[in-house]
Amino acid sequence: MDSVDLEHFLVIGAILFGIGLYMSLAKRNFVGVLIGIELMFNGVNLTFISFSRFVESAEPLNGHIFVIFVITVAAAEAAVALALAVLLYRLRDTINVDQIDLLKW
Amino acid sequence: MTSEVFNVYIAVLIATIFGFVLVGSALIGNLILSPRQKSPHKGVTYECGMLPIGRSRAQVHFRYYLFAILFLIFDIEAVFLFPWAVSFVELGEQAFYEMLVFIGILAFGLLYAWKKGVLNWR
Amino acid sequence: MDDLNLLGPQLALLIGAGLIIIVDLLLPIVSRQAYQGRLPLLSGLALLAAAGSLGWSLALVLTDERGEAFDGMISVDDFTLFFNFLFAAVAGAIVLGSVDYLARHRFQGEYLALILIAAAGMSLMAAGTDLIMIFIALELQAIALFALVGISKNESGSEATLKFLLLSAISTAITLYGMAYLFGLSGETSLDGIASYVANTDENRSALVLAAVFLTAGLGFKMAVVPFQMWVPDVYEGAPTPITAFLSVASKAAGFAVVMRIFLAALGEGLITTDWAYLFAAIAAVSMTLGNVLALVQGNIKRMLGYSSIAQAGTILIGLAAVAAEDPQLLLGTSSVVFFLGAYAFTNIGAFIAIIAISHKIGSDQIADYAGVAKRSPLLAFALAACLFSLTGFPPTAGFIAKIYVFNAAVQADLVWLAIIGVLNSVISAYYYLRVVLNMFARDPETDEAFTPSPYLGAALAAAVVGLFAIGIYPTPLIEASESAARVFS
Repeated sequence: MDSVDLEHFLVIGAILFGIGLYMSLAKRNFVGVLIGIELMFNGVNLTFISFSRFVESAEPLNGHIFVIFVITVAAAEAAVALALAVLLYRLRDTINVDQIDLLKW
Repeated sequence: MTSEVFNVYIAVLIATIFGFVLVGSALIGNLILSPRQKSPHKGVTYECGMLPIGRSRAQVHFRYYLFAILFLIFDIEAVFLFPWAVSFVELGEQAFYEMLVFIGILAFGLLYAWKKGVLNWR
Repeated sequence: MDDLNLLGPQLALLIGAGLIIIVDLLLPIVSRQAYQGRLPLLSGLALLAAAGSLGWSLALVLTDERGEAFDGMISVDDFTLFFNFLFAAVAGAIVLGSVDYLARHRFQGEYLALILIAAAGMSLMAAGTDLIMIFIALELQAIALFALVGISKNESGSEATLKFLLLSAISTAITLYGMAYLFGLSGETSLDGIASYVANTDENRSALVLAAVFLTAGLGFKMAVVPFQMWVPDVYEGAPTPITAFLSVASKAAGFAVVMRIFLAALGEGLITTDWAYLFAAIAAVSMTLGNVLALVQGNIKRMLGYSSIAQAGTILIGLAAVAAEDPQLLLGTSSVVFFLGAYAFTNIGAFIAIIAISHKIGSDQIADYAGVAKRSPLLAFALAACLFSLTGFPPTAGFIAKIYVFNAAVQADLVWLAIIGVLNSVISAYYYLRVVLNMFARDPETDEAFTPSPYLGAALAAAVVGLFAIGIYPTPLIEASESAARVFS
């Protein structure tokens, strides 16, 4: 199983992170932006997991623990963000990030 | 190097091809075997019933969203419960009480939402 | 049990938050009437929690209790204790400053509990010595702040929350990516482990620099420095004013605390130091200039203070940039940052509480409407003027000592050009700070009706103003505290 190296995973993690970053900056729909952020977190998670699998370490499990907490925190953040989306939709009838421009951007 | 990568993933490749063949043969078989009749009524939502009223897109009431958020509590709880269950024997009694505290806090969150009337369907 | 004792200041805040939520939940069952008059009870509980946290920190100082807790996840040292004091005191002041706002508001229990939770998260950020702990503490305060910014559920508040939440989440993801590479390079998540890797290797320097850049980008959002400042003016304007104060003082200080922890404890040795020192110097120069120039043209006083806080963050970063270049024995860079954060807390809390009191009465956040406030409420006008003088850096206020301290650190570290930019920016900032003062004192009000702040606001404001003059006239105790906090990293 040595033939798939650390680099492969890191590259995929970086690609995921990059797609997520692009989505979160380019998407106009609030939920789309949130999905982009989730993708970024997943890119990070993959990076952590692959490092803790491949890198010699005194505490290799720390990477796994980190990922569990990232997942939890991402869920908590998503909960608040979706609550906000519902609130915004009720107030403004839109969740298009572009149209929410009461304050100067 | 490249060939080694393929060696590792040969099983995945076979599974993928097998999947495509399976779905493809089902579709093609359907195409060959099924009878066909062309008429404008084929395009109606319910071909042999009443005419559909309103739009076919059903919108889910947003109140379900609150339940989804509450479900999230237990969804994430499981993420911690599995590693805890695996290492429970090694960790001993203390881990049991720590998990009780953790679940207690989560249960309090549910109680809070309940008391605030989130579970009432108005 | 030892662990819990060391964590007492944070636990006091969290227990207070839990109690407030439970009381808020159970009070309507006990009596409808008691629930209507719950505000004094709840804010009393919140103040008690803040006082408990302060008291516990004091007890830790007096009994000389220091050490690591929870398998090295948390280190309670002088640095941690300094920030424990800072965050508990700021939380207390914000609770006092919120009473008037809350009286007209529905979610009183949640609001107060979230303030305490955010304060606990911030103080854990300063205490964390492991990337996992730092990340969780960072998010604990961030999520609490999201809810606080949007708690009024009106249009501008929810829009501010949207911007704050999205940009904060993106910055968190970027920070995490940096942390992932630090973990990957060193195989450790503890700051000590990373430090020993960084100090003993010449390999992978570019990957390390990349990780440092990612961390700077992510944490720059918390510190609100250019180019990660886009959210500041909008969020400051849209959030309830007490929360704006909380963001501008506590959240920023927490960001700096984490940056100091990570960059000084983990990346503080080896070649990497010069890399991030230049990065910080550049960010500092741009932040100061851009923040001040944009503050010049603002008409809304909360937006103006938002831009000014970007400039102040730039000034604070000068101290961090100086750390790498200076003689390690001097400790000027680190201690000047810690001192500045302390002095800035008093000053900005004072300024925002004065604004809450004034804006509440005149019903506007526009600087133009502040005309003649001095004739209607001389004491309030004097207090706001004192805070603005301190932000500019006039003696004998805390801001003067803080700026001298930071500029001195820059000069000692051969960053004279940065100090010169800092001084020039102070001159620019004097223009817009003094414009407010001039508006209050030199122009005539539309009505002569006198007003005074509520006793809660008055108490918090008096404490802040007395504090900023006390530090300005006799700064030695705070300087000593900052130096002992800085010694943690030497």
